[in-house]
Amino acid sequence: MSVSQAEAAGTGYHRLEVASVSKTFGSARVLRDIGLRIAPGELHGLVGQNGCGKSTLVKILTGIYTPDPGGALTVDGRPLSLPVRPLEARAAGLSVVHQNLGLVDDRTVWENVRLGRFKAAGRFSRRIDGRAERAAVEAVFDRLGARVGVNERVGELSAEDRAAVAIARAMQDHEPGGGLIIFDESTRAMGKEARGRFFALVRSVIDSGASVLMISHQLEEVVQLTDRVTVLRDGQVVEAGIPTKETDEAGLTRLMLGRHLVTHSRVDSHARPELAAQVRQLAVRSVAEFDLDLRKGEIVGLTGLMGSGAVAAAEAIGGAREARAGTLTVGATELSLTPRRGSNEDFIRAGVVFVAERRLEQGLAGELSVTQNLTLPRVRSRGGRLRIGGGWQAQETAAMIKKLDIKPPDPNQLVGTMSGGNQQKVLLGKWLAGQPRLLVLHEPTQAVDVGARHDIIDAIREAAAGGCGVLISSVDAADLAVICDRVLVFRDGRVTAELAGELTQDHIIHATFGSPAEPAEPAEPAEPGELNAKGVAR
Amino acid sequence: MDTARNKGRDGAVAAPEAPAGPAGHAAPPRRNRFAVSHLAPRFAILAVWAAMIAVYCGTESNLFPHAGTFQTIFGSQQPLVFMTMALMCTIVVGEFVNLSVPAVFGFGATILPVLVVNHGWNVWPASIVAVAGCALVGAVNGYLVVRVGVNTIVVTLGMSTLVEGVSLWMSDLNTISGMPSGFQKIALFDVGGLPVSFYYGVVLVLGFGYLLAFTPLGRHMRFTGASREVSRLSGVRVDRIRFGSFVFAGLLSGVGSVIAVAAIGGYNATTSDSFLLPVFAAVFLSTAIFEPGRFNPLGTLVGIYFLETGILGLQLLGLQSWVSQVFYGGILVIAVTISTLLHRRAA
Repeated sequence: MSVSQAEAAGTGYHRLEVASVSKTFGSARVLRDIGLRIAPGELHGLVGQNGCGKSTLVKILTGIYTPDPGGALTVDGRPLSLPVRPLEARAAGLSVVHQNLGLVDDRTVWENVRLGRFKAAGRFSRRIDGRAERAAVEAVFDRLGARVGVNERVGELSAEDRAAVAIARAMQDHEPGGGLIIFDESTRAMGKEARGRFFALVRSVIDSGASVLMISHQLEEVVQLTDRVTVLRDGQVVEAGIPTKETDEAGLTRLMLGRHLVTHSRVDSHARPELAAQVRQLAVRSVAEFDLDLRKGEIVGLTGLMGSGAVAAAEAIGGAREARAGTLTVGATELSLTPRRGSNEDFIRAGVVFVAERRLEQGLAGELSVTQNLTLPRVRSRGGRLRIGGGWQAQETAAMIKKLDIKPPDPNQLVGTMSGGNQQKVLLGKWLAGQPRLLVLHEPTQAVDVGARHDIIDAIREAAAGGCGVLISSVDAADLAVICDRVLVFRDGRVTAELAGELTQDHIIHATFGSPAEPAEPAEPAEPGELNAKGVAR
Repeated sequence: MDTARNKGRDGAVAAPEAPAGPAGHAAPPRRNRFAVSHLAPRFAILAVWAAMIAVYCGTESNLFPHAGTFQTIFGSQQPLVFMTMALMCTIVVGEFVNLSVPAVFGFGATILPVLVVNHGWNVWPASIVAVAGCALVGAVNGYLVVRVGVNTIVVTLGMSTLVEGVSLWMSDLNTISGMPSGFQKIALFDVGGLPVSFYYGVVLVLGFGYLLAFTPLGRHMRFTGASREVSRLSGVRVDRIRFGSFVFAGLLSGVGSVIAVAAIGGYNATTSDSFLLPVFAAVFLSTAIFEPGRFNPLGTLVGIYFLETGILGLQLLGLQSWVSQVFYGGILVIAVTISTLLHRRAA
């Protein structure tokens, strides 16, 4: 079993020590001599760009991957055998809370927490002793300071309670004052409020004497919450255990990227007087009679709370969702948004492309290569009927790899083996290579690191500078404030505010949540940085 | 929290003037095409095939190493080649369990001799009717699966049973033989010691391989099989491709049945069932040859002759006909398991 904080402190051991751990896949060395030390009761952050090796390290710690010979792992001074055996790691107090929390929605809380640990009621009975199991789960929640009904179905719980269930499952084997939980991007799918409550739970885990390794792309979380942070870049530790009091987000970003940062200043709008696209009478889900005029080079954001209609509108305009009514005019082509389409061929031919949020479900085929994915929409138009032709494919792929800094820069790499940020770049490149007239994006920078975000924002701006109309559906106010010329805020299927000019996150957030800062009366035309409209956007 | 959030995210981006990170625009990593880890999952079956031939030549030196043995191996598998390519059509677009291929083949192979022998038709119109009938069954499969959305297993199992029943009814449970002798030439004409039908199979496989690797249609088929939604949003006519695959599968089964009837001189509808396991075994074996983890026509062709070599050798050793079932089933599981493990290790 795991060792308590007092015992570990007394021995001078680290809760977790990773020494000289490397991992090689084929000819690629993705982790090189990783060293990491986490003290008892410490909240330690681990940051790095997509593809830097964070996930590989977690997979080594959880026994999914076998590290190269020569490395060592110790927990409270006791060596773990390599490859890590999950039961041995669990006994040593090492546990993981994954991105999606790993819960089974249609089972109860106590079943989820005790999964893999059920005990029979008696020596000759194989029946699960439900009463004892529930009591054990309640005891864990008591230690955690969380109140969750153990008989509730997990699928009916709030995001906060689901997180509590995942944490309870992770810490149930810990000795009081011992153990270590790895949070692997666990806040990725959480809203802002749920995230705040989640951090309170993490803090109570630390207060109980356990240690935490928090892996996150959200640098502000890492800086605010953790005691120390380790930075990975290209499979190597570039800084180990920096006290977070001595650094900030810019410093971490610089270490992650190996280059300096500047605060981005908004560039002038590329919007021109000519229209790029017109949407008329769009009706989809809660949205009714939505009209939009998008000028060439203009970048318009659609945002709102869940179910507000912003996402549905963007998906319908991009051809990914069937609308009840509406037309989209691009150049001389009028597209109906209503009929069920066997394919988006007519949209693509008209220059309308959709960059989906769920990239491996709607955007890319993971089992096929970068080149095959990137060129798919154009194999018929650019290739011959009897032969696609390799030249243009190679040229197009090389150009996009260079433009978007796709890593690894290998056209034959299977997309499913790439990091999320680089998959997103391939997806964006797939559509930008066709030089669209209307680019519709849904959460283009979700779950990508700061470097990839920069490359993606740059590419979107470049497309706009070339005359493409851009429509971005996102709940990320920071992104919208940086990129957009205009932001339309949806609520209950209607545009309740149109923001233009010098946008800030606060303006967008106020408008989204309908906070008192929002002016009561609409004003037209748009004034820079102010909310200026309620009702149908034009 | 908000303040910090603004501080970090409000437009903090990397300075473009700074040099790129260590990876920069590095050249693509070189892959060693001759590394064992690269070659083993692709060519392990070929090596096993060669070893098997060597063993048979050693243990059955009186029977195995003769031209006639190899003529039997390469000259008798044409029906299987057409049926496997028919199954590949639907598998490539993501319809993995088209159970109707052997029955559709048997349907065409029954129509032709029934029309010619029982009803006195000329072979060519009868052949066209047989092929068209098979394509029609494929179209019905496609309509029910693609347009109506019925489960593929249910549709193809049902259609398989249905057309097999119709074939048995048409043939009155008898072997229909007595095709005109001149008709045999389209299948058995000797070219370099092998019947011309062997070359039909090779051309078909190479053509299908080319289509998948180099043509827009083939690329669209691969993507449809990988993800329908990705393909639809990328402008691929997904439903048309899926429907067309079922029709083309029927068509290929029909053409294969005509050539088979020409070679055999007739057909017994009760034998169609016996093709089911070999067809699936050969197609699934292709995932362990040349392109690990991916169904591919050339691998399927190798798989067919690999399996036939193994079975013929064992039969020459005196083992009974049950050995074919043991061999088809056993080799399929072992080969695909080894390929999967090697592929995972190399990944």
